Order: sequence, then C-alpha cells, then structure tokens
Amino acid sequence: MGTRDSLIQVTDLKKHYHMGAIKALDGVTVDINRGDVMVVIGPSGSGKSTFLRSLNLLEEPTGGAIVFDGVDITKKKYKDAQGNMVKLDIDKLRQKMGMVFQHFNLFPHMTILENMALAPIKVKGMGKAEAEEKALTLLDRVGLKDRAGAYPIQLSGGQKQRVAIVRALAMEPEVMLFDEPTSALDPEMVGEVLDVMKGLAKEGMTMVVVTHEMGFAREVGNRVLFMADGMLLEQGTPDKIFGEPEHPRLKDFLAKVL
Amino acid sequence: MEQFIQLENFSKILPYAQLFKQGMLVTILLSLFTVVIGFCIALILALMRMSNVRPLRSLGLDQNGHLREGGFLAFVSKFNPLSFLATAYVEILRSTPVIVQIFIIYYGVFGLIKLPSFQMFGFIKFDRFFPGVVALGMNSGAYLCEIIRAGIQSIDGGQTEAARSLGLSQAQNLRYIILPQALKNILPAIANEFVVIIKESAITYTIGVQDIMSAVNAVKGATFVIVEPLLVATAVYFCLCFPTSKIIAYFERRMSHGDKR
Repeated sequence: MGTRDSLIQVTDLKKHYHMGAIKALDGVTVDINRGDVMVVIGPSGSGKSTFLRSLNLLEEPTGGAIVFDGVDITKKKYKDAQGNMVKLDIDKLRQKMGMVFQHFNLFPHMTILENMALAPIKVKGMGKAEAEEKALTLLDRVGLKDRAGAYPIQLSGGQKQRVAIVRALAMEPEVMLFDEPTSALDPEMVGEVLDVMKGLAKEGMTMVVVTHEMGFAREVGNRVLFMADGMLLEQGTPDKIFGEPEHPRLKDFLAKVL
Repeated sequence: MEQFIQLENFSKILPYAQLFKQGMLVTILLSLFTVVIGFCIALILALMRMSNVRPLRSLGLDQNGHLREGGFLAFVSKFNPLSFLATAYVEILRSTPVIVQIFIIYYGVFGLIKLPSFQMFGFIKFDRFFPGVVALGMNSGAYLCEIIRAGIQSIDGGQTEAARSLGLSQAQNLRYIILPQALKNILPAIANEFVVIIKESAITYTIGVQDIMSAVNAVKGATFVIVEPLLVATAVYFCLCFPTSKIIAYFERRMSHGDKR
C-alpha cells in the first residue's frame, strides 16, 4: 500500500445552530490521506452529510479547522508561503474537490455533453473542442458515450448518477465526495453506480463516501467512520468495524442494518 | 330608438383615423420602452434582494474568525443594505396606485427637472412621453422584480450546490445555470406583465401623452361620439395584447426542450 500522505486534516469540526442548541457536528477530528476510500456510516441525522458538505464548505462550520493542501479553509483569510494575508478563493478550492449528490443535480436545460463540458470551459478556460473530447472519453468509460446528446430527463437514475460522477471527474479533482450517491436509486440501478465507484477506488482516487451500502463499505472502503449525534464514535478498518464493533451505538446500528 | 352602436357614427369619426394611428404608435413605443426599463430595473432589484452584501459581516465573527452561533452581533452582521433598499422600493411601488405615481413623477420630479420640449416623429411631445415611460417603467420594475425573484428561487438549491462544487463562481452559476432555467419558468408571468403594461399605459393620457386613449378623448370632444371611438380603442388594444401573449407562448415552447422525454 505504500506510505500515505495526509490530504485533509479535520480538527474538532463543529456546526452548531441556535446558540448551540442543535449540534449537527460536535467536534469531529479525522485525517484523510491520499488514496483513502473513507466510508462514513451512521443513523440518519447523525451529521454524516453535514460533515461531508463541510469539507467543500457547502456548509459553513461554526468551529474547528479543515486543513486542505496546507490551508485552513474554514478561515476567510490565511497566510500564504510569503507570509501575506490572502483571501480564501473558495471557487479554486472547490475545483479540487468533486462532489456527487444524492439527487444527481444534473443541469436539466443542458445536454449530457454540455453538462460535462461547462465547468472545464468556464472555470478552467479549456477550449470547447478539447473539453468535449475529454467529456466523451469520460462518458465512454461509464458506457454512456452514445447518450452525449441526450437531456438528463431522458436518462434513468443510474445513468444520471454515472454522468454526475464523470462530470465531477472532468475537473480532475484531488478528492471525490459522495453524498449518499445510491440512496435515490431504484435497487436494480445501485450496482451500476457502485461499479463506477469501485473502478475509481482501484485507480487510487481519494474518496469520502457517505452511504448506507454496507456491502460497498466492507468491500471497497479502507477506512470506515461511524458517526452518531454529530460525533465520530468509532473508526477503523472495515474488518474491525463490521467484525469487532466496540461502541454500543455501533453494535446497535449494525444489528439494525445488517 | 337610440342604438348602442350607430354605423353612421363610424363615418363621423373616420376623418380622425390619423389620430388613432398616431395613438397606436405612441402606445406601442410607450410599452416597449416601459418593458425595457422595467426589466432592467427588475433584474437589478432582484439581484439586490438576493445579494449577500453584508458590510457588518465581520461583527458576526469571533476572535478566531469563526461564525458566531447567535446573539445580537450575529443578527446585526446579517444586515444587507442593498436588499433592504430593494425591498422597500418594491413594497412602496406595489402598495400605491399607478396614477399617484405618475402624477408624482410628472408634476413632482419633472416639475423640478425641466425636460426639453421637442416632438419625436413630429407629433410625440417628449416632455409628456418621457415622464410617462419613467413612471410606468418604475412601476412595472417592482412587479417584474418579484416575478424574477420567484423564478430564481423556484430553482432547486441542488443546482447551485452542483454548480458551485464544480468551481463555478456565484456569477457564473447565475448566468449559466439559474437564469436560463428561471427565465423559462417565469415566461408566462412575464407575458402577463407585458400585456398588463400595454393596457396600463392607457393611464398616461392623464398627463397628456397622446396615446390611444387620448385619441379617443380628442375625437369625443370634436364629434360628441363616445361609444364608437371606444370600440376602436378596444380593437386596437386587443390587436396589440393578443399577439404579444401568443409570441411569448411560442418562445416558451422553444425553450422547453429539457422537459420532454
């Protein structure tokens, strides 16, 4: 497996509402290393999604730190290598973090190809021809090259999610965040999406996956986090989490879902 | 016995056909300028209302630079002067009659600012026409603002999240993702507002704009015929409004390609 270097360090991450009456995240500390496939499990309302969405600041944390590529992204300003205070460029940051949503969130007024090429063209300044060629290569990889001219509504749920994954990949992110990517799918389509994710994991992509698919967590994940009540209660290898769970909440949770 | 419509009355008003033609041109020009001004005002207002400009934002951060969780300073830090101004504008314009607004603009504002008194196309009095356009444009801006805002807010939040997570800026998200979808959703409401503008422009005859209604009045004064000129005006307004809604319905169909399987 080789040595792994740390990509994201999360320290004591907090997200409180209403003067702390609601604690969506209550002090989560974890290191995400390059090449990790980190699976986050837990009952609903446990803060898994909030944790994931905090990583690219779709949720603004109210406390703690997220250090990504050496910069604490929870601060609006930071010191650069020369010691100057610079404003955090959130758009730059998000380019390096691909995100896949439960409800796909494809752009319905654009074809699949336009969906894929938009960000590379507008954000990275790539030429249209190059962006489209790259998009077609990626679509080919998930077996959807022939649907490039279709609109999202013409695709099945599984196809939409495969497009959403490669749309994020088109920006060549350093880490991919998956927010319950199979929860809105019909059962027979879950497999095709998980297969794409497995392929990504094999290629060494760093992934953080919030999911209810315990089979995927076991088979593909190299680390599993168990969250409840906004806290990280237990973490370890899949064998350890599923084989010898320690925390009573985890034992209780596994008894219900397995 | 008196009849509601007397055919010979039409021949009495026939010599004034030119007045109706000019009135129709004025109504068309008035509506077009109003729509353009109204739409520009509305877009700016809608963006102001949804903007995130918070000059007191730093009050909402604690010593470590994190967001405060609540309390007075957190509340104050959310104050957005742009949104406040836009909201005030919309509420005031929507809660007062158009005719009052037109009089205030004409007698008040343009009583102080003297406009050059020349005639466009040889018959449109600029110092009447311009205040009319300004007043109607400001009024429809308030209504169109609410339509545009509702359209933008009707787009699922997931669209913005997806766009921003791909690295698109707030402006790019608006330009490429939100506005194209919002515009399609609000076209029926915009068509309705355009038609309302054409009809509402009739009220500007009260400040001496020579539109169709003023032609009706002129003919009435000269011939003492009342109903027939009104019927002509009815026909003209219908011929302007009906095609407008049809044309917009056509664009609506053209933009709906993402909806069909």
